[in-house]
Amino acid sequence: MAFRELNSKMIEATVAPGQRLFSQRGAMLAYRGEVSFTPNLTGGQGGVMSMIGRRVANEDTPLMTVEGSGTVLFGHGGHHVQVINLSGDTLYVEADRLLAFEGTLRQATVFLGAQGGVMGMVRGQVSGQGLFTTSLSGHGAVAVMAHGGVFEVPITAQRPVHVDPQAYVAHHGDVRNRLSTALGWRDMVGRGSGEAFQLELSGNGTVYVQASEEKL
Amino acid sequence: MFRLQGSKVLAVDMTGDAVKAKNGSMVAYDGEMAFKKLSGGGEGIRGMVTRRLTGEQMTVMEVKGHGTCWFADRASEINLVTLQGDKLYVESSNFLAADAGLRTGTTFTGARGAAQGNGLFTTTLEGHGQAAIMSDGPAVVLRVSAQYPLTVDPGAYVAHQGNLRQSFQSGVTFRTLYGEGGGEAFQIRFEGDGLVYVQPSERNTIAGDV
Repeated sequence: MAFRELNSKMIEATVAPGQRLFSQRGAMLAYRGEVSFTPNLTGGQGGVMSMIGRRVANEDTPLMTVEGSGTVLFGHGGHHVQVINLSGDTLYVEADRLLAFEGTLRQATVFLGAQGGVMGMVRGQVSGQGLFTTSLSGHGAVAVMAHGGVFEVPITAQRPVHVDPQAYVAHHGDVRNRLSTALGWRDMVGRGSGEAFQLELSGNGTVYVQASEEKL
Repeated sequence: MFRLQGSKVLAVDMTGDAVKAKNGSMVAYDGEMAFKKLSGGGEGIRGMVTRRLTGEQMTVMEVKGHGTCWFADRASEINLVTLQGDKLYVESSNFLAADAGLRTGTTFTGARGAAQGNGLFTTTLEGHGQAAIMSDGPAVVLRVSAQYPLTVDPGAYVAHQGNLRQSFQSGVTFRTLYGEGGGEAFQIRFEGDGLVYVQPSERNTIAGDV
């Protein structure tokens, strides 16, 4: 495994020759060995067209490429870090929550409207995620940041899970999501319970939820 | 039915019963849940008026349904309290969730509230059931008995339960007036028999400045 959790807020990544890592720019805390950090102009993988895609989609968090041989410590802003290992499946996560990921993973930008049509777009707006999100697929490890620790909620076909859009971090597996509204007359007169919008996730997979309603 | 998942997330398993929780503190749920805001802390018209008058505002919602509901608030540490007929005093800002069967109310705290910067009133929970309170950092529970009274910094006080008398003491000396105080000018003293919850952090209080 390329990432090791040192404590809840720091990870140690091992880089070997011929392997690449991508990390958020400026997230390196310390390193050992011969490691080079190159700012990544295109903001990830896939060349110029992907770069334009990310710029347009506003999913262009500055990334850097980490190469060489040695170990690197990553951490950012005192946020909790969760390592998620992918074995062939796809993780959906906001670009600004990505701390680091292995170069073996394929990175792509997903249009949320493609998942759920118009409601998908509304969902992006309500949850502050925008209309696009980043997907990582393949085999490898991803380090994701969250405010106040993360817990996993399994999603099964019989049990869909509802998540507060502000507390949603990432999900993987074969999961459909849609925005469900529980808007009633109470919300109209300012007597809402503060839970008017929820993300409904159904299918098979896992959703990662943070212990806070604060966005990064 | 209340259980902690880690130290910052409260999971509540529900089978048709209800809990009261801080407005907007749900982070996830499975199964079927309904959320309803309770005006005036669910204490009826009288509670609504009292809370308005005392400034001990608490926006609470009632969560009812079947399944598991997870609660968290701004990554605060969560402490579970079991009440067996006794009374828990907690600041409304530290309240996260409680069994719907617990009665909530407000009481006068006297000078302590003013020194805490929390107002002169506090919230009480009474009855049989469980409650979850929040603290900034993991809270310690200190036992107070007849022989061992306890003195607490008002900014670090979170909650207390049991049969306790509280008095307010000040350590203001001529040094404080010169601006040479130790930053511990005011304290709350608990006597009697009960438990006090103290957090490893201090709220901004007037007492901390002198």
